[in-house]
Amino acid sequence: MKWLDALFGRPRVPASRLDALFAISTARVTLEANLGLRWDERAAVVLRGVESSYYEGAERELDQLLGIALKETGTASTRQRDAQGFEWLVLRDEELEDVVAAAHMVGQTLQAHGFLDRLLAALFAFRGADDRVVYWVYNYKRGTFYPFAPRDGRARDYALELRLAAVMKAEMPIEPATERWYALWDPPL
Amino acid sequence: MVRRRWQGGDAGLTARMLLVMVLLAALYLAFVAVLVQAGVDSTALLLFAVVVAGAQLFFSDKIALWSVGARVVSEQEEPALHAMVERLAAMADLSKPAIAVAPTAIPNAFAVGRGPGSSVVAVTRGLLDQLEPAELEGVLAHELSHIRNRDVLVVTLASFFAVVAQLLVRSLMWSGMYGWGGGFGGYGGWGGRGDRRRDGGVSGIVLIYVASLAVWAISFLLIRALSRYREYAADRAAALLTGAPSALAAALAKLSEAVARIPDRDLREVEGMNAFFIVPATARASLAELFATHPSTEKRIERLMRLAAEMERPA
Repeated sequence: MKWLDALFGRPRVPASRLDALFAISTARVTLEANLGLRWDERAAVVLRGVESSYYEGAERELDQLLGIALKETGTASTRQRDAQGFEWLVLRDEELEDVVAAAHMVGQTLQAHGFLDRLLAALFAFRGADDRVVYWVYNYKRGTFYPFAPRDGRARDYALELRLAAVMKAEMPIEPATERWYALWDPPL
Repeated sequence: MVRRRWQGGDAGLTARMLLVMVLLAALYLAFVAVLVQAGVDSTALLLFAVVVAGAQLFFSDKIALWSVGARVVSEQEEPALHAMVERLAAMADLSKPAIAVAPTAIPNAFAVGRGPGSSVVAVTRGLLDQLEPAELEGVLAHELSHIRNRDVLVVTLASFFAVVAQLLVRSLMWSGMYGWGGGFGGYGGWGGRGDRRRDGGVSGIVLIYVASLAVWAISFLLIRALSRYREYAADRAAALLTGAPSALAAALAKLSEAVARIPDRDLREVEGMNAFFIVPATARASLAELFATHPSTEKRIERLMRLAAEMERPA
Protein backbone atom coordinates (compact mmCIF):
# COMPACT_ATOMS: atom_id res chain seq x y z
CA MET A 1 0.00 0.00 0.00
CA LYS A 2 1.32 3.37 -1.03
CA TRP A 3 0.56 5.33 2.14
CA LEU A 4 2.04 2.61 4.35
CA ASP A 5 5.22 2.71 2.26
CA ALA A 6 5.35 6.47 2.75
CA LEU A 7 4.59 6.24 6.49
CA PHE A 8 7.47 3.83 7.06
CA GLY A 9 9.69 5.38 4.41
CA ARG A 10 9.98 2.07 2.55
CA PRO A 11 11.66 2.47 -0.83
CA ARG A 12 9.45 1.64 -3.76
CA VAL A 13 10.84 2.16 -7.23
CA PRO A 14 7.64 1.68 -9.22
CA ALA A 15 7.59 -1.33 -11.54
CA SER A 16 7.57 -0.63 -15.25
CA ARG A 17 4.66 -1.65 -17.44
CA LEU A 18 5.24 -3.36 -20.74
CA ASP A 19 1.73 -4.18 -21.98
CA ALA A 20 0.78 -0.82 -23.49
CA LEU A 21 3.94 -0.56 -25.59
CA PHE A 22 2.35 -2.27 -28.59
CA ALA A 23 -0.16 0.57 -28.98
CA ILE A 24 2.39 2.47 -31.05
CA SER A 25 2.34 -0.26 -33.75
CA THR A 26 -1.40 -0.07 -34.22
CA ALA A 27 -1.39 3.74 -34.07
CA ARG A 28 1.05 3.99 -36.95
CA VAL A 29 -1.62 4.04 -39.67
CA THR A 30 -3.55 6.89 -38.08
CA LEU A 31 -0.35 8.79 -37.38
CA GLU A 32 0.55 8.70 -41.05
CA ALA A 33 -2.92 9.07 -42.61
CA ASN A 34 -4.43 11.72 -40.31
CA LEU A 35 -1.41 13.58 -38.95
CA GLY A 36 1.15 13.18 -41.70
CA LEU A 37 3.67 11.64 -39.29
CA ARG A 38 5.90 9.06 -40.97
CA TRP A 39 7.89 6.49 -38.96
CA ASP A 40 11.46 7.79 -39.02
CA GLU A 41 13.05 4.35 -38.57
CA ARG A 42 14.69 5.22 -35.22
CA ALA A 43 13.78 4.39 -31.67
CA ALA A 44 15.47 4.08 -28.29
CA VAL A 45 14.91 2.46 -24.92
CA VAL A 46 16.12 4.56 -21.98
CA LEU A 47 17.06 2.73 -18.80
CA ARG A 48 19.11 3.14 -15.67
CA GLY A 49 21.67 0.58 -14.59
CA VAL A 50 22.37 -0.73 -11.10
CA GLU A 51 25.73 -1.09 -9.35
CA SER A 52 25.45 -4.85 -9.16
CA SER A 53 27.08 -7.73 -10.97
CA TYR A 54 23.59 -9.25 -11.26
CA TYR A 55 22.52 -6.29 -13.32
CA GLU A 56 25.61 -6.61 -15.45
CA GLY A 57 24.71 -10.27 -15.96
CA ALA A 58 21.22 -9.28 -17.08
CA GLU A 59 22.76 -6.77 -19.45
CA ARG A 60 25.05 -9.40 -20.99
CA GLU A 61 22.14 -11.75 -21.55
CA LEU A 62 20.18 -8.89 -23.06
CA ASP A 63 23.00 -8.17 -25.49
CA GLN A 64 23.15 -11.83 -26.53
CA LEU A 65 19.40 -12.15 -27.03
CA LEU A 66 19.19 -8.85 -28.88
CA GLY A 67 22.15 -9.88 -31.03
CA ILE A 68 20.29 -12.97 -32.22
CA ALA A 69 16.87 -11.35 -32.59
CA LEU A 70 18.10 -8.21 -34.31
CA LYS A 71 20.17 -10.16 -36.84
CA GLU A 72 17.00 -11.94 -37.88
CA THR A 73 14.98 -8.76 -38.38
CA GLY A 74 17.87 -6.71 -39.72
CA THR A 75 17.65 -4.16 -36.91
CA ALA A 76 20.74 -2.12 -36.11
CA SER A 77 21.42 -1.32 -32.47
CA THR A 78 23.90 0.72 -30.46
CA ARG A 79 24.15 1.41 -26.78
CA GLN A 80 25.44 4.57 -25.15
CA ARG A 81 25.36 6.31 -21.79
CA ASP A 82 24.27 9.94 -21.55
CA ALA A 83 25.67 12.68 -19.30
CA GLN A 84 23.15 11.81 -16.59
CA GLY A 85 24.14 8.16 -16.38
CA PHE A 86 21.15 6.74 -18.25
CA GLU A 87 21.66 4.04 -20.90
CA TRP A 88 20.25 4.59 -24.38
CA LEU A 89 19.64 1.45 -26.40
CA VAL A 90 19.18 2.85 -29.89
CA LEU A 91 17.33 0.73 -32.47
CA ARG A 92 17.11 1.40 -36.22
CA ASP A 93 14.79 -0.47 -38.53
CA GLU A 94 12.47 0.20 -41.44
CA GLU A 95 9.80 -1.84 -39.71
CA LEU A 96 8.24 -0.24 -36.65
CA GLU A 97 6.89 -3.66 -35.58
CA ASP A 98 10.40 -5.11 -35.33
CA VAL A 99 11.58 -2.22 -33.15
CA VAL A 100 8.55 -2.52 -30.86
CA ALA A 101 9.16 -6.26 -30.54
CA ALA A 102 12.80 -5.60 -29.67
CA ALA A 103 11.84 -2.99 -27.07
CA HIS A 104 9.39 -5.46 -25.57
CA MET A 105 12.08 -8.12 -25.43
CA VAL A 106 14.34 -5.72 -23.53
CA GLY A 107 11.60 -5.33 -20.94
CA GLN A 108 10.97 -9.07 -20.67
CA THR A 109 14.64 -9.87 -20.24
CA LEU A 110 15.04 -7.29 -17.48
CA GLN A 111 11.86 -8.58 -15.86
CA ALA A 112 13.21 -12.13 -15.83
CA HIS A 113 16.22 -10.87 -13.86
CA GLY A 114 14.20 -8.71 -11.45
CA PHE A 115 15.21 -5.39 -12.97
CA LEU A 116 11.97 -4.34 -14.63
CA ASP A 117 11.90 -1.17 -12.52
CA ARG A 118 15.04 0.15 -14.25
CA LEU A 119 13.19 1.04 -17.46
CA LEU A 120 12.40 4.73 -17.82
CA ALA A 121 11.13 5.45 -21.33
CA ALA A 122 11.04 4.35 -24.95
CA LEU A 123 11.17 6.90 -27.76
CA PHE A 124 9.86 6.41 -31.30
CA ALA A 125 10.87 9.01 -33.87
CA PHE A 126 8.39 10.27 -36.46
CA ARG A 127 8.80 12.91 -39.14
CA GLY A 128 6.08 15.38 -40.09
CA ALA A 129 5.24 16.80 -43.53
CA ASP A 130 7.36 19.86 -42.63
CA ASP A 131 10.31 17.46 -42.10
CA ARG A 132 10.40 18.17 -38.37
CA VAL A 133 10.82 15.37 -35.88
CA VAL A 134 8.27 14.39 -33.27
CA TYR A 135 8.95 11.68 -30.70
CA TRP A 136 6.30 9.50 -29.20
CA VAL A 137 7.56 8.75 -25.72
CA TYR A 138 6.40 5.69 -23.80
CA ASN A 139 6.57 6.19 -20.02
CA TYR A 140 7.23 2.70 -18.64
CA LYS A 141 6.29 3.74 -15.11
CA ARG A 142 2.81 4.81 -16.10
CA GLY A 143 2.19 2.70 -19.19
CA THR A 144 1.27 5.80 -21.20
CA PHE A 145 2.45 7.63 -24.31
CA TYR A 146 2.97 11.33 -24.86
CA PRO A 147 4.30 13.39 -27.77
CA PHE A 148 7.57 15.30 -27.50
CA ALA A 149 8.27 17.85 -30.25
CA PRO A 150 11.62 19.50 -29.49
CA ARG A 151 12.49 22.66 -31.38
CA ASP A 152 15.65 24.73 -31.55
CA GLY A 153 16.99 26.14 -28.30
CA ARG A 154 15.36 23.74 -25.86
CA ALA A 155 11.87 24.79 -26.89
CA ARG A 156 8.90 22.52 -27.43
CA ASP A 157 6.05 22.86 -29.87
CA TYR A 158 3.36 22.51 -27.20
CA ALA A 159 0.52 23.38 -29.58
CA LEU A 160 1.50 20.53 -31.88
CA GLU A 161 1.96 18.14 -28.94
CA LEU A 162 -1.49 18.93 -27.58
CA ARG A 163 -3.08 18.45 -30.99
CA LEU A 164 -1.32 15.13 -31.55
CA ALA A 165 -2.39 13.91 -28.13
CA ALA A 166 -5.99 14.95 -28.73
CA VAL A 167 -6.15 13.17 -32.09
CA MET A 168 -4.45 9.98 -30.87
CA LYS A 169 -6.40 9.71 -27.62
CA ALA A 170 -8.79 7.17 -29.11
CA GLU A 171 -6.01 4.83 -30.25
CA MET A 172 -3.27 5.09 -27.63
CA PRO A 173 -3.13 5.35 -23.85
CA ILE A 174 -2.16 9.04 -23.72
CA GLU A 175 -0.67 10.39 -20.48
CA PRO A 176 -3.49 12.55 -19.06
CA ALA A 177 -1.28 14.71 -16.81
CA THR A 178 0.59 17.07 -19.14
CA GLU A 179 3.06 17.98 -16.38
CA ARG A 180 4.30 14.38 -16.71
CA TRP A 181 5.17 14.93 -20.36
CA TYR A 182 8.85 14.99 -19.42
CA ALA A 183 11.27 16.34 -21.98
CA LEU A 184 14.17 14.13 -23.09
CA TRP A 185 16.48 16.71 -24.64
CA ASP A 186 18.99 15.81 -27.33
CA PRO A 187 18.10 12.13 -27.64
CA PRO A 188 21.15 10.36 -29.14
CA LEU A 189 19.27 8.52 -31.86
CA MET B 1 10.28 -13.48 -12.23
CA VAL B 2 13.08 -12.81 -9.82
CA ARG B 3 12.52 -10.64 -6.78
CA ARG B 4 15.68 -9.23 -5.30
CA ARG B 5 15.62 -8.92 -1.55
CA TRP B 6 17.37 -5.56 -1.41
CA GLN B 7 14.85 -3.86 -3.67
CA GLY B 8 12.33 -3.32 -0.87
CA GLY B 9 12.59 -1.74 2.54
CA ASP B 10 14.97 -2.49 5.37
CA ALA B 11 12.88 -4.67 7.68
CA GLY B 12 14.88 -3.68 10.77
CA LEU B 13 14.43 -0.01 10.01
CA THR B 14 10.69 -0.41 9.44
CA ALA B 15 10.38 -2.28 12.75
CA ARG B 16 12.24 0.44 14.63
CA MET B 17 10.13 3.16 13.04
CA LEU B 18 6.98 1.24 14.00
CA LEU B 19 8.27 0.89 17.59
CA VAL B 20 8.91 4.65 17.86
CA MET B 21 5.48 5.43 16.45
CA VAL B 22 3.78 3.00 18.87
CA LEU B 23 5.71 4.49 21.81
CA LEU B 24 4.75 8.00 20.73
CA ALA B 25 1.09 7.01 20.38
CA ALA B 26 1.13 5.35 23.83
CA LEU B 27 2.81 8.37 25.37
CA TYR B 28 0.31 10.74 23.81
CA LEU B 29 -2.67 8.59 24.84
CA ALA B 30 -1.40 8.53 28.43
CA PHE B 31 -0.92 12.28 28.28
CA VAL B 32 -4.47 12.88 27.08
CA ALA B 33 -5.74 10.52 29.79
CA VAL B 34 -3.90 12.52 32.46
CA LEU B 35 -5.30 15.78 31.08
CA VAL B 36 -8.83 14.42 31.05
CA GLN B 37 -8.38 12.90 34.53
CA ALA B 38 -7.18 16.22 35.89
CA GLY B 39 -10.29 17.83 34.50
CA VAL B 40 -8.56 20.12 32.08
CA ASP B 41 -10.94 21.60 29.56
CA SER B 42 -8.48 21.32 26.74
CA THR B 43 -10.66 22.29 23.77
CA ALA B 44 -9.09 25.70 23.43
CA LEU B 45 -5.65 24.25 24.00
CA LEU B 46 -6.10 21.59 21.31
CA LEU B 47 -7.51 24.18 18.94
CA PHE B 48 -4.45 26.33 19.50
CA ALA B 49 -2.16 23.33 18.90
CA VAL B 50 -4.03 22.54 15.68
CA VAL B 51 -3.45 26.10 14.53
CA VAL B 52 0.25 25.83 15.41
CA ALA B 53 0.61 22.51 13.55
CA GLY B 54 -1.35 23.86 10.57
CA ALA B 55 0.81 26.97 10.43
CA GLN B 56 3.88 24.74 10.60
CA LEU B 57 2.62 22.68 7.67
CA PHE B 58 1.65 25.63 5.54
CA PHE B 59 4.39 28.12 6.30
CA SER B 60 7.46 26.12 7.31
CA ASP B 61 8.40 25.69 3.64
CA LYS B 62 8.32 29.42 2.95
CA ILE B 63 10.17 30.22 6.17
CA ALA B 64 12.83 27.58 5.46
CA LEU B 65 13.42 28.85 1.92
CA TRP B 66 13.43 32.45 3.09
CA SER B 67 15.84 31.83 5.98
CA VAL B 68 18.57 30.56 3.65
CA GLY B 69 17.73 33.06 0.92
CA ALA B 70 16.74 30.33 -1.55
CA ARG B 71 15.01 31.42 -4.73
CA VAL B 72 12.93 29.21 -7.02
CA VAL B 73 14.77 28.87 -10.34
CA SER B 74 13.20 28.33 -13.75
CA GLU B 75 14.14 25.71 -16.30
CA GLN B 76 15.89 28.38 -18.39
CA GLU B 77 18.10 29.42 -15.48
CA GLU B 78 19.21 25.93 -14.41
CA PRO B 79 18.52 23.54 -17.29
CA ALA B 80 20.89 20.77 -16.13
CA LEU B 81 19.53 20.78 -12.58
CA HIS B 82 15.95 20.71 -13.84
CA ALA B 83 16.71 17.86 -16.24
CA MET B 84 18.28 15.83 -13.44
CA VAL B 85 15.35 16.31 -11.05
CA GLU B 86 12.91 15.58 -13.87
CA ARG B 87 14.53 12.25 -14.72
CA LEU B 88 14.56 11.20 -11.07
CA ALA B 89 10.93 12.26 -10.61
CA ALA B 90 9.98 10.27 -13.72
CA MET B 91 11.89 7.25 -12.43
CA ALA B 92 10.13 7.48 -9.05
CA ASP B 93 6.79 8.30 -10.74
CA LEU B 94 6.39 11.50 -8.71
CA SER B 95 5.32 14.87 -10.00
CA LYS B 96 8.30 17.15 -10.40
CA PRO B 97 8.87 19.46 -7.42
CA ALA B 98 9.85 23.11 -7.75
CA ILE B 99 13.60 23.74 -7.52
CA ALA B 100 15.23 26.51 -5.49
CA VAL B 101 18.85 27.58 -5.23
CA ALA B 102 20.37 29.37 -2.22
CA PRO B 103 23.40 31.58 -2.87
CA THR B 104 25.38 29.92 -0.07
CA ALA B 105 28.85 28.45 -0.52
CA ILE B 106 28.27 25.75 2.12
CA PRO B 107 27.20 22.65 0.16
CA ASN B 108 23.83 21.43 1.39
CA ALA B 109 20.32 20.58 0.27
CA PHE B 110 16.84 20.23 1.73
CA ALA B 111 13.28 19.51 0.73
CA VAL B 112 10.18 21.21 2.08
CA GLY B 113 6.46 20.84 1.52
CA ARG B 114 3.59 18.71 2.69
CA GLY B 115 3.77 16.17 -0.10
CA PRO B 116 4.34 15.57 -3.78
CA GLY B 117 2.79 18.40 -5.75
CA SER B 118 3.45 21.18 -3.25
CA SER B 119 7.11 20.55 -2.57
CA VAL B 120 10.35 22.37 -3.22
CA VAL B 121 13.82 20.88 -3.45
CA ALA B 122 16.42 23.47 -2.46
CA VAL B 123 20.14 23.22 -3.06
CA THR B 124 22.94 25.64 -2.25
CA ARG B 125 25.24 27.06 -4.89
CA GLY B 126 28.10 25.32 -3.06
CA LEU B 127 26.43 21.95 -3.63
CA LEU B 128 26.17 22.55 -7.37
CA ASP B 129 29.78 23.71 -7.53
CA GLN B 130 31.43 21.04 -5.41
CA LEU B 131 29.69 17.77 -6.27
CA GLU B 132 30.17 15.54 -9.29
CA PRO B 133 26.98 15.00 -11.32
CA ALA B 134 26.48 11.45 -9.97
CA GLU B 135 26.91 12.68 -6.38
CA LEU B 136 24.52 15.57 -6.96
CA GLU B 137 22.01 13.12 -8.37
CA GLY B 138 22.28 11.02 -5.20
CA VAL B 139 21.57 14.06 -3.04
CA LEU B 140 18.59 15.07 -5.20
CA ALA B 141 17.23 11.51 -5.04
CA HIS B 142 17.53 11.67 -1.23
CA GLU B 143 15.48 14.87 -1.18
CA LEU B 144 12.88 13.41 -3.57
CA SER B 145 12.58 10.43 -1.22
CA HIS B 146 11.82 12.81 1.67
CA ILE B 147 9.06 14.26 -0.49
CA ARG B 148 7.72 10.82 -1.41
CA ASN B 149 7.75 9.79 2.26
CA ARG B 150 6.02 13.06 3.24
CA ASP B 151 8.54 13.55 6.01
CA VAL B 152 7.49 17.11 6.83
CA LEU B 153 3.89 15.93 7.31
CA VAL B 154 4.84 12.82 9.29
CA VAL B 155 7.15 14.67 11.69
CA THR B 156 4.66 17.53 12.15
CA LEU B 157 1.90 15.07 13.02
CA ALA B 158 4.23 13.10 15.29
CA SER B 159 5.06 16.36 17.08
CA PHE B 160 1.45 17.40 17.63
CA PHE B 161 1.08 16.44 21.28
CA ALA B 162 4.66 17.40 21.96
CA VAL B 163 3.59 20.91 20.99
CA VAL B 164 0.57 20.66 23.30
CA ALA B 165 2.83 19.58 26.16
CA GLN B 166 5.24 22.37 25.42
CA LEU B 167 2.44 24.93 25.42
CA LEU B 168 1.20 23.61 28.76
CA VAL B 169 4.65 23.72 30.35
CA ARG B 170 5.20 27.27 29.19
CA SER B 171 1.79 28.53 30.23
CA LEU B 172 2.04 26.84 33.64
CA MET B 173 5.43 28.42 34.15
CA TRP B 174 3.92 31.80 33.44
CA SER B 175 0.95 31.23 35.67
CA GLY B 176 3.35 29.99 38.36
CA MET B 177 5.25 33.23 38.14
CA TYR B 178 2.25 35.50 38.16
CA GLY B 179 0.05 33.49 40.46
CA TRP B 180 -2.25 30.62 39.52
CA GLY B 181 -4.89 31.53 37.05
CA GLY B 182 -2.67 33.67 34.91
CA GLY B 183 -1.35 32.35 31.65
CA PHE B 184 -3.08 29.02 31.64
CA GLY B 185 -6.49 30.61 32.02
CA GLY B 186 -5.84 32.23 28.73
CA TYR B 187 -6.25 28.85 27.07
CA GLY B 188 -9.67 28.50 28.62
CA GLY B 189 -8.67 25.66 30.92
CA TRP B 190 -7.73 25.41 34.49
CA GLY B 191 -7.43 28.75 36.14
CA GLY B 192 -9.95 31.39 37.03
CA ARG B 193 -12.85 28.99 37.56
CA GLY B 194 -13.73 29.69 41.17
CA ASP B 195 -13.83 26.84 43.68
CA ARG B 196 -12.34 24.12 41.59
CA ARG B 197 -8.98 25.80 41.68
CA ARG B 198 -9.00 26.10 45.42
CA ASP B 199 -9.75 22.49 46.31
CA GLY B 200 -6.68 20.54 45.35
CA GLY B 201 -6.02 22.82 42.42
CA VAL B 202 -2.38 23.29 43.14
CA SER B 203 -1.55 19.58 43.30
CA GLY B 204 -3.54 19.09 40.08
CA ILE B 205 -1.53 21.78 38.42
CA VAL B 206 1.71 20.23 39.62
CA LEU B 207 0.58 16.89 38.18
CA ILE B 208 -0.19 18.46 34.81
CA TYR B 209 3.07 20.35 34.88
CA VAL B 210 5.13 17.25 35.62
CA ALA B 211 3.20 15.18 33.06
CA SER B 212 3.64 17.84 30.37
CA LEU B 213 7.31 18.18 31.13
CA ALA B 214 7.78 14.41 30.90
CA VAL B 215 5.82 14.17 27.65
CA TRP B 216 7.76 17.05 26.18
CA ALA B 217 11.13 15.50 27.08
CA ILE B 218 10.30 11.91 26.08
CA SER B 219 8.54 12.87 22.86
CA PHE B 220 11.50 15.08 21.94
CA LEU B 221 13.82 12.06 22.09
CA LEU B 222 11.36 9.83 20.23
CA ILE B 223 10.78 12.39 17.47
CA ARG B 224 14.53 12.83 17.04
CA ALA B 225 14.88 9.04 16.74
CA LEU B 226 12.08 8.99 14.16
CA SER B 227 13.80 11.78 12.27
CA ARG B 228 17.07 9.82 12.18
CA TYR B 229 15.35 6.66 10.97
CA ARG B 230 13.70 8.64 8.21
CA GLU B 231 17.10 9.90 7.12
CA TYR B 232 18.28 6.31 6.76
CA ALA B 233 15.10 5.49 4.86
CA ALA B 234 15.60 8.41 2.47
CA ASP B 235 19.23 7.36 1.91
CA ARG B 236 18.17 3.82 1.03
CA ALA B 237 15.36 4.94 -1.25
CA ALA B 238 17.73 7.35 -3.02
CA ALA B 239 20.33 4.62 -3.57
CA LEU B 240 17.73 2.24 -4.97
CA LEU B 241 16.31 4.93 -7.24
CA THR B 242 19.65 5.84 -8.81
CA GLY B 243 21.00 2.29 -8.49
CA ALA B 244 24.22 3.79 -7.14
CA PRO B 245 24.66 3.71 -3.34
CA SER B 246 28.34 4.58 -3.72
CA ALA B 247 27.62 7.96 -5.35
CA LEU B 248 25.39 9.04 -2.45
CA ALA B 249 27.97 7.78 0.05
CA ALA B 250 30.66 9.81 -1.69
CA ALA B 251 28.40 12.88 -1.64
CA LEU B 252 27.72 12.49 2.10
CA ALA B 253 31.43 12.15 2.84
CA LYS B 254 32.18 15.26 0.80
CA LEU B 255 29.39 17.27 2.45
CA SER B 256 30.32 16.42 6.03
CA GLU B 257 33.95 17.16 5.27
CA ALA B 258 33.00 20.53 3.82
CA VAL B 259 30.84 21.33 6.85
CA ALA B 260 33.70 20.38 9.21
CA ARG B 261 36.05 22.77 7.44
CA ILE B 262 33.82 25.82 7.84
CA PRO B 263 34.22 27.97 10.96
CA ASP B 264 31.48 27.58 13.56
CA ARG B 265 30.60 31.24 13.38
CA ASP B 266 29.36 30.93 9.80
CA LEU B 267 27.56 27.70 10.51
CA ARG B 268 25.56 29.22 13.32
CA GLU B 269 23.75 31.36 10.79
CA VAL B 270 22.13 28.32 9.22
CA GLU B 271 22.01 26.02 12.25
CA GLY B 272 18.29 26.53 12.80
CA MET B 273 17.74 24.71 9.53
CA ASN B 274 19.48 21.51 10.66
CA ALA B 275 16.40 19.29 10.66
CA PHE B 276 15.86 20.08 7.00
CA PHE B 277 19.38 19.70 5.63
CA ILE B 278 20.77 16.52 4.09
CA VAL B 279 23.82 16.91 6.33
CA PRO B 280 23.40 19.00 9.51
CA ALA B 281 25.43 22.20 9.53
CA THR B 282 27.02 21.49 12.88
CA ALA B 283 30.72 20.85 13.04
CA ARG B 284 30.82 19.95 16.72
CA ALA B 285 30.86 16.25 17.34
CA SER B 286 30.07 16.74 21.01
CA LEU B 287 26.34 16.88 20.36
CA ALA B 288 24.99 13.68 21.86
CA GLU B 289 23.73 11.31 19.20
CA LEU B 290 20.48 10.90 21.12
CA PHE B 291 19.56 14.53 20.47
CA ALA B 292 20.60 14.67 16.83
CA THR B 293 18.18 15.05 13.93
CA HIS B 294 20.51 13.05 11.68
CA PRO B 295 22.54 9.89 12.20
CA SER B 296 26.28 10.43 11.95
CA THR B 297 27.67 10.52 8.43
CA GLU B 298 29.83 7.46 9.19
CA LYS B 299 26.76 5.43 10.11
CA ARG B 300 24.88 6.55 7.01
CA ILE B 301 27.80 5.66 4.75
CA GLU B 302 28.18 2.33 6.52
CA ARG B 303 24.53 1.53 5.84
CA LEU B 304 24.83 2.51 2.19
CA MET B 305 27.87 0.28 1.84
CA ARG B 306 25.96 -2.55 3.49
CA LEU B 307 23.26 -2.05 0.85
CA ALA B 308 25.93 -2.12 -1.85
CA ALA B 309 27.14 -5.45 -0.49
CA GLU B 310 23.57 -6.78 -0.35
CA MET B 311 23.21 -5.94 -4.01
CA GLU B 312 25.95 -8.47 -4.76
CA ARG B 313 24.15 -11.27 -2.96
CA PRO B 314 22.12 -13.78 -5.01
CA ALA B 315 18.36 -13.36 -5.13
